[in-house]
Amino acid sequence: MIDTIMNNFLVQEIILLAKPALFNAYFALASIPIGFPFAVMLALGKFSKNKWLSLPARGFIYAFRGSPLFIQFFMFYALMLSLNKVLWKPWGVDEWILHPLFIGPLVLILNTGAYAAEIFYGALRTIPKGEVEAARAMGMSKRQVFKTVTWPNMLRLSWPAYTNEMVFLFHSTSLVYFTLPVINEQKDLMNKAGELFEKDYNIYLHFGVAGLYFLIASLIIFYLSGLFQKRLNRHLA
Amino acid sequence: MLDILPEWFLSWFSEDGQEMIAYLTNGKHLTWYASVRYTLIAAVLSALFAIGFGLIGAALKQSGFFLFRWIGNFYTSIVRGIPDILFILFFPLAIEQGVEYFIAKSKCTAEQLSAIGTWPPCQEAQWFLTTNDYLFMACLSLGLVYGAFAANVIYGALHAVPKGQLEAASAYGFSQKQVFWKFKIRQMWVYALPGLSNIWMLLIKATSFLSLLQVTDIVYWAGLLGAANYFPRAGMVHPNWNFQYYFVLFVFYIILTMLSERFFNMLQNKASRGMSVVEQ
Repeated sequence: MIDTIMNNFLVQEIILLAKPALFNAYFALASIPIGFPFAVMLALGKFSKNKWLSLPARGFIYAFRGSPLFIQFFMFYALMLSLNKVLWKPWGVDEWILHPLFIGPLVLILNTGAYAAEIFYGALRTIPKGEVEAARAMGMSKRQVFKTVTWPNMLRLSWPAYTNEMVFLFHSTSLVYFTLPVINEQKDLMNKAGELFEKDYNIYLHFGVAGLYFLIASLIIFYLSGLFQKRLNRHLA
Repeated sequence: MLDILPEWFLSWFSEDGQEMIAYLTNGKHLTWYASVRYTLIAAVLSALFAIGFGLIGAALKQSGFFLFRWIGNFYTSIVRGIPDILFILFFPLAIEQGVEYFIAKSKCTAEQLSAIGTWPPCQEAQWFLTTNDYLFMACLSLGLVYGAFAANVIYGALHAVPKGQLEAASAYGFSQKQVFWKFKIRQMWVYALPGLSNIWMLLIKATSFLSLLQVTDIVYWAGLLGAANYFPRAGMVHPNWNFQYYFVLFVFYIILTMLSERFFNMLQNKASRGMSVVEQ
C-alpha cells in the first residue's frame, strides 16, 4: 500500500520538489524579518516633514517600485561583481557576498522594502487625526503617541495589504535563480521544474506541482497573517 | 555613424568621446535601441488582451449560472496564489506543445508517438516559431495573467456604479440594454481606472520577462553588450560593463512608469470630469 503511494508519479514529483521549495522558503524567510523594519523606516522617512529624510526615502521607493525586480537582480549582481576586485576580494569576503544566497535576499529586501513602505506610508496618512490629537491633549510625549496611537493604527490599517505584499514576495523568490548563477544543486522551485521539464517535456506535471507548492505557501501566509489580523483588530470586535 | 554626423558636432568631443559615440552607435547598439519596440508592443498588446480577458472574467464572475461563476472565481483567484512568472512561462510552452501534439498525431508513426522523453515525437511535428510568434504568445500569456487581475478590478467597478444613477436612467425611459451599456459600462471605466492603472504598472514591469520567452528584447541585448570584450576585432575592448547596461534599463523602466503615471492621471481627470463622487 505504502509502496504504491510512494511510487505514484505525483508523490514522486512532490518529494523531488520538496528541497527546492526550501530555497524559496529561505529567500522569503530571510527577507521578511529585515524587510519589515526597513520598510517601516522608509515609510516614516517618507512621512517625515524633514526633507533630508523624506526626499531620499521618496526617491528610493519610487525607483524600486517603478522598475522590474528582474532588472534589479541583474543590476545588483553586476554591481557586486564589478566591486569584487576593489572591495570584496581584498577584504576576503567575495566567497559569500557574491553568493546567490546572500544577494538574493539583499535585493528582495530592497524591493519589498520599497513596496511595503508605500503601503505603510498610505496607512500613516489615513490614521485618524482625532486619535493623535486626543493623545496629544492627554499630555503624551511624541514617543508615547507613536507607541500607543501611530504604530498600532499603522499596523492595523496596512496589514491586509502587507499580507498581499508578503505573498508577492514569496512569489518573487522564484526570480532569484533566473538571474543569479545556480550553484550545484542549489535550485529553487521554478529552476528545478524547468530542469525536469527539459528532461521529459511534461510541463503540466512539473509546473503544476511547482504551482501547488506556491499555492500552499500562499495559503499558509494568508492563514497566519489572518490570525495576526484578528489579534490586531481584537478591540473592534 | 561617425561619418554622417556633421563636423562641428564631432569637434565638441575628444578622441575618446568620438570613439564612445562610435561604440554607442554601432550595429549591435542600434539593434538594442530598436529592440525597445518589443517591450512597447508587448506592453500595449498584452494590456489589450488583459482588458479582454478581464471583461470575460468579470462577466463570468457575475454570471447567474453557477458553473460560469465558479470558473470566473477560479480564474481570478488562482493568480493570487501562484507566481505570474510560472504562468508566463507555462502558457507559451503549453500552447506550443498542444499545437505540436496535433501535428504529431497526423504526421508521426505510432511507434514514435509512444516514445517517452522526446518532444516533439518526430521531426516533422516540430513547430517553428519566429520572434514575432514568440512575442505574440508572450503577449497572450501576459494578457491571461493580468486579465485575472483586471477581472477583479472590473468586477469591483461594476458594483461601484451608484444604483441611483441606473434607476434614474430607467426612470427617464432608457431601455435595460441602454442602461447597461450607456450608463453601467460607461461609468464602470471611471471606477476601474485607478485599478487598471496599477495593473498597467505591473504589466510594463512584467515585459522584462520577454527575454525568458525567446524574444531578443532590451534585457537580452543588455546582457550581451555588457559582457566583457577582449577582442579588438569584435569592437571596443572593455571589461564587464553589465552594471552600466542594466542601470540604463533600470532608469528606462522608471521613466516608463513616470510617463504612464502622468498619462493615467490625465485620463482620470478627463474621465471623471463632472463627477463629484470620485476622488481626484
